[in-house]
Amino acid sequence: MTGDVQVLAAPAGGCHIFSGCGYPAPGIQDFDFQTMFRIGDFHVTKPILIAVLCAISVIVFFGVAFWRPKMVPRGVQNLAEIGILAVRDQILRPSLGRRGDSYLPFLVSLFFYIWLMNLMELIPFFQFPSMSRIGFVWPLVLMVYVLYWYLGIKNQGAWGYFKTMIPPGVPWFILPILIPVEFARFFIVQPFTLGVRLFANMFAGHLLLTIFYLATWYMLSLSIGLLYFVGSAFMVVFVFLLELLVDLLQAFIFTTLTATYIADSLERAH
Amino acid sequence: MGTYRSRAAAESSAEGGAKGIGVGWTVFSYLIAGMVAYGGIGWLVGRAVHASWPFPVGMLVGLGISLGYIIYRYGRQGAAE
Repeated sequence: MTGDVQVLAAPAGGCHIFSGCGYPAPGIQDFDFQTMFRIGDFHVTKPILIAVLCAISVIVFFGVAFWRPKMVPRGVQNLAEIGILAVRDQILRPSLGRRGDSYLPFLVSLFFYIWLMNLMELIPFFQFPSMSRIGFVWPLVLMVYVLYWYLGIKNQGAWGYFKTMIPPGVPWFILPILIPVEFARFFIVQPFTLGVRLFANMFAGHLLLTIFYLATWYMLSLSIGLLYFVGSAFMVVFVFLLELLVDLLQAFIFTTLTATYIADSLERAH
Repeated sequence: MGTYRSRAAAESSAEGGAKGIGVGWTVFSYLIAGMVAYGGIGWLVGRAVHASWPFPVGMLVGLGISLGYIIYRYGRQGAAE
């Protein structure tokens, strides 16, 4: 597992500033993992394990919370209800209104799964956001993409749905100029940005954290390097807090945009 | 009563926030989409006539069209509604 911060620090070993060895700069290689174990021909790596663990955690958490639901929620059920209501009131209702309540389970699962996956970059031992491997993002995007296509065609008919892509209130001679833009936006840019936004944020976050973790270790010395060490240690705390925010924000944005796309499919707003 | 009001206020501010995010990303998508669409058309034209200039020119034209459309649609106060 070359991506482990602990393992990364190992080749640095006693390697510190002024001891004649260079800074072991993190890079793209930190996102490649060796096989941990195999199930048949299937090679399980750390990101896969994290993804599966997160999925199981979300399922088990909500399963336990609502195993025997009570009218007056207590304990885990209370916590889960707060989470669900937050998603409903901050994400679902603003875009979809009350008619969108049937999509609540999907959005709740999506939100908490992405959030937990992102948080894994901060939790010791895991310390890797699987979403920084783009292959983990595309299945989510595909799910959302297929869903809003299906809903759009189901609710507005195939022709009606395509018609919504034609911008309203534009003079007819401008339309041929705008239609390629609308099609590119709808077919290519919209799903692409949905996925790349999440991927790029997690990728950059993990890289930043690794850089400062390693630098803190590298600059640990009893000379003037100690000053740099303190600076870098401060950056670790700062980036950690920043990532705490980014993790939540990315899950929020992904789910909010999903809700907006679903709303567009159900009924064109403009 | 007080809680009800503050809840309603929170909901309406959340609504504004979600709309803002939606509009913001739509505008961004248009910018990229213009370049993708007309860059693509330019690239195809360039292949057909064995020249390399239509691709960047197409991208610039697409960016211009996107900008014009965004200003037309979102530039005026309340035009998005």
